[in-house]
Amino acid sequence: MKPPSETAADDTAVENPVVGIDQSKGDFKYDVKYDFDAGTGLNENTVRYISSVKKEADWLLEFRLNALKKFHSMPMPTHWATKDLENINFDKIRYYLAQGQKPKRTWEEVPDDIKQTFERLGIPEQERKFLAGVEAQFDSEAAYSNIKEIVAKQGVIFVNSTEGLREHPELFKKFFGKVIPTGDNKFAALNSAVFSGGSFIYVPKGVKVAQPLQAYFRINAENFGQFERTLIIADEGAEVVYMEGCTAPKFSTATLHSAVVELVALKGAKIQYITVQNWANNVFNLVTKRGVAHEDAEIKWIDCNIGSRLTMKYPGVVLKGERARGEVISIALANDGQHQDTGAKMIHAANNTTSNIVAKSISVGQGRSTYRGIVHIPKSLKGCKNNTECDALLINTNSRTDTYPAIAIRGDRNATQHEASVSKVSEDMIFYMQQRGLTEGQAMSLAVNGFINDLARQFPMEYSVELKRLIDLEMEGSVG
Amino acid sequence: MPTLDIQNLQVAIGDKPIVKGLSLTIRSGEVHAIMGPNGTGKSTLAKAIAGHPDYTITGGDVLLDGKSILEMEADERARSGLFLAFQYPSEIPGVTIANFLRAALQARLGEGEEIDATAYYKRLYGKMDMLTIDRKFTSRAVNEGFSGGEKKRCEILQMAMLEPKFALMDETDSGLDIDALRIVSEGVNALRGPGLGVLLITHYQRLLNYIVPDFVHVMYDGRIVKSGDKSLALELEAKGYDWVKKAV
Amino acid sequence: MSKVSTASPSQIGRFTSEAFAVHLAEQKSAPAWWLERKRAAYAQFAALPMPRRTDEAWRFSNIGTLSLDGAVLAAKAGPVAPVAGFTPTLSFANNQLVSAHVPPALAAQGVIVTTLAEAAAKHADLLKAHFMAQPQKLGSAKFAALHSAFVGDGAFVHIPKSVELADPVVIQHAASGDQAAVFPHTLVVAEENARATVVDLLVSAAGGRHLAVGANDLYAGHGAQLTYIGAQNWSRDTLAFQLNSIVVRRDARAQSLNLHLGARQARHESLSQLQAPGAFSEMLALTVADGTQEFDQRTLQIHQAPNTKSDLLYKNALLAKARTIFSGLIVVDPDAQKTDAYQSNRNLMLSDDAEANSLPGLEIQANDVRCTHGATSSRIDPEQEFYLQSRGIHREAADELITFGFFEEVLNRLASDPIHEALRDLIRSKFQK
Repeated sequence: MKPPSETAADDTAVENPVVGIDQSKGDFKYDVKYDFDAGTGLNENTVRYISSVKKEADWLLEFRLNALKKFHSMPMPTHWATKDLENINFDKIRYYLAQGQKPKRTWEEVPDDIKQTFERLGIPEQERKFLAGVEAQFDSEAAYSNIKEIVAKQGVIFVNSTEGLREHPELFKKFFGKVIPTGDNKFAALNSAVFSGGSFIYVPKGVKVAQPLQAYFRINAENFGQFERTLIIADEGAEVVYMEGCTAPKFSTATLHSAVVELVALKGAKIQYITVQNWANNVFNLVTKRGVAHEDAEIKWIDCNIGSRLTMKYPGVVLKGERARGEVISIALANDGQHQDTGAKMIHAANNTTSNIVAKSISVGQGRSTYRGIVHIPKSLKGCKNNTECDALLINTNSRTDTYPAIAIRGDRNATQHEASVSKVSEDMIFYMQQRGLTEGQAMSLAVNGFINDLARQFPMEYSVELKRLIDLEMEGSVG
Repeated sequence: MPTLDIQNLQVAIGDKPIVKGLSLTIRSGEVHAIMGPNGTGKSTLAKAIAGHPDYTITGGDVLLDGKSILEMEADERARSGLFLAFQYPSEIPGVTIANFLRAALQARLGEGEEIDATAYYKRLYGKMDMLTIDRKFTSRAVNEGFSGGEKKRCEILQMAMLEPKFALMDETDSGLDIDALRIVSEGVNALRGPGLGVLLITHYQRLLNYIVPDFVHVMYDGRIVKSGDKSLALELEAKGYDWVKKAV
Repeated sequence: MSKVSTASPSQIGRFTSEAFAVHLAEQKSAPAWWLERKRAAYAQFAALPMPRRTDEAWRFSNIGTLSLDGAVLAAKAGPVAPVAGFTPTLSFANNQLVSAHVPPALAAQGVIVTTLAEAAAKHADLLKAHFMAQPQKLGSAKFAALHSAFVGDGAFVHIPKSVELADPVVIQHAASGDQAAVFPHTLVVAEENARATVVDLLVSAAGGRHLAVGANDLYAGHGAQLTYIGAQNWSRDTLAFQLNSIVVRRDARAQSLNLHLGARQARHESLSQLQAPGAFSEMLALTVADGTQEFDQRTLQIHQAPNTKSDLLYKNALLAKARTIFSGLIVVDPDAQKTDAYQSNRNLMLSDDAEANSLPGLEIQANDVRCTHGATSSRIDPEQEFYLQSRGIHREAADELITFGFFEEVLNRLASDPIHEALRDLIRSKFQK
């Protein structure tokens, strides 16, 4: 084992109570030898290289090349999004880095130079404690992927996307790219061209997976772009909870993370997708996430964004079947040098569908948080309802928040309601807590945790404890 | 003599039966009280008789002066002489009490007939004074921003103005302090007389100290399980609803 | 200079450089600076593109029906009957003054109510300082330039320091004749501690296709109280743009209420700038959208100083196949602490074919603020309907009461009962058609 080339050594990392989503704890890097490297920059050869090392079918190579064309032809969406996107230099990014192609089924088999990263992040320990399955992606490929036998016996498939394509081509192809078409946006096109890794999950009819499935995405290499692709299918009446965490070491250069996540909840199925994103603040995190909920199905996105330089992510639900329900619970915290541009999309496409969006953001220092939302209820539908609440908390005098919802409704048989507010932490509240002996910083932390408390409670317990700790860390030094 | 005749009435919300065969005859001049624990179907009974579209009549009948009202829209029932004093009166933004009551009275007139504005206001102010409602309220939007007590007084004001044959009073005492309860009760008592039949729906016996009923009925699980005179209410107060539940 | 325009016809319609030259030649008494401004505006108009589908400022708008084609600068027309309930102080038809009834009391108070043409000659400094002087931030820079280039005559109202007007100043702008293009303009300057109410009536003499590109400049000086009411009732074949700008100074209060009834497609932009502490802008609008009408309303509340307040309430009632768009933005500048800003859009859906789009936005760069917004779209609340019906009111009458109640919430904000009643009658006349 080589000595770690640390940027910030911190021995307490192993004591991390839950999956390593604490960026200060994730800010380390071990040297790793890569056997596969697509080089720097993006052209047809990059795509062909990725496809060939993955030994992909012809249709998929065609799919990738077509997506690359789309990516090149589509403009940066800076007519509505931040100009900071123009600072991404696609020619300086490495698009594929892997040590091996096939993920290991036991941690013993994972090579030491990669295993130590995940051990330090506490993943194997978490798996033993409370997870039904884990996939750990290191740069472009999963280093480890396994589910508990009891879950596998129920017919649940939980593999990475490369394996999914190879071992379940029919199922994969049936749903792949159907929820989020290649040309949905420039970054979905980029992902479609160079994707690697991510999870493929299939939960058979009526199977309710008791414990969450967990994926962990780790960027290790500098100037790297991670483009995982996740596809989750819950068959009729099935239920599954999926959680993902993400970290990367802090580099001086920009890193890109651009995932595509597609969910399909068939009749009566329930999918809950939980993200705690805490990328280092050099990461452009540009992710497209959308689910289709069929009749009586329910899709719930619980999305927490703390790190990154710029996050643009608007999880969506297409409510395709009658009585389908969609929900987005979003927490964003933007600190100095960060822009959390997050939100939700609810597309109603059947009668009596309901959607709910609750978004809370906290802007600290010069941080900027933005909510963007779309609620669409087209003509001829009836009994559809949307409720949206956006609350922004501004900590410092120079903090910034924006809200840009778009609500389009047709007909008199549907109803929408949108409310947003901006506030700061009340001075009286802080004074009250200080009078009881808390420091101003502690009081501020408590107040911020109180602000998101109703949403944090919707996370699994382990995550909400971690979330609270992360917020305490972020709030340190925010006052005075 | 006008009668409101509830015959084996069955009411459901969606697929769920709430009122399960309830019979009761109220004659003009009588005050009936229906008491019962929460969730037993009392409010459903009142709203169903008034014609709320969310309630489905699955059986039985309601006759006003011998004529079934079940095929009538809510407004038609009201014009036939039914009045519902709501437990939670709706707020109607931008519609003043004066305009609202005028529209309600106008709806009772024939084509081409117009309300005499002077007489109308004279009468309205008289009723408001009786209920100690500030005259400024006439230009306020119906129930908007009213306190609980103001809403209930506004309900009684409407009842006084519309002069129904039968009034269904749904938990009129809820949310009232002692003073408001007294004012509201005095208002109802002032309207009592041979031309008005009243069905009081209440959870507590307290209201019946102020508006003394001629008959008391105990409702449980969608039916009337016990009837008597006003002493039944006192017995119920002393023994609690568990007494009734056990008796069923 | 723009003698030669390279713009294609679809970009400028019949507002060619030749047409502009003819218009300039008619401005015989206009001072040189005014003509120079017009020339600059025309150049800008010709150079700017028509709105495109990808323009964020035109999101959800029907771009395809915005064409300038066909319309020509309106020819001289006779007087047009005033809107019921109002007595115009100045009345314009097809960009020219047709009647003036300025009460002598106004002149005695030092109030100026006159035409832009006369103001250009006599009050050049005021006109230079206020005429189309505010930035066009809401998407219609091209149409604002068209307006400035072709504006014929309009109203100029100046209320001196501490003067209070007892009665409203009423300006009527009428369009008459098929394919008439009109450019109504009303400029109001309320100096320190002045108080005034100004009403703009935008009407068509009869049916016919019109292009109306109107603008107004409202300025409330320190401590002034300015109420502006705009009632738009163009013919149903009119393509209308109305660009409204309000500047509110220290401790001043501006109230604006825009009633939108007419036009085939109406774009309304309203910019409120709260420039000094204590400034308050109340922005109100009522729209009755019927048939296939499209009402496209864009608003911007900019808080540029601390301790400023803005309160916006835009209500739309949608019938038949009508469309509405409300896009509002509250901007709080970094130093504008203690801002209190509110924005609300309520859509009452009265038809299963109507479409309401809401884009309520916030951009907040100060933390000690109170900013909220809300947007709702729904039909008449069935519980309210039942409540009214349970009092014996017929369903149709109940719906009408509730709908008018919905409007009353906005009209009640007006201090003047006669104006309140006149506007209510105007709304009623649309429902009775």
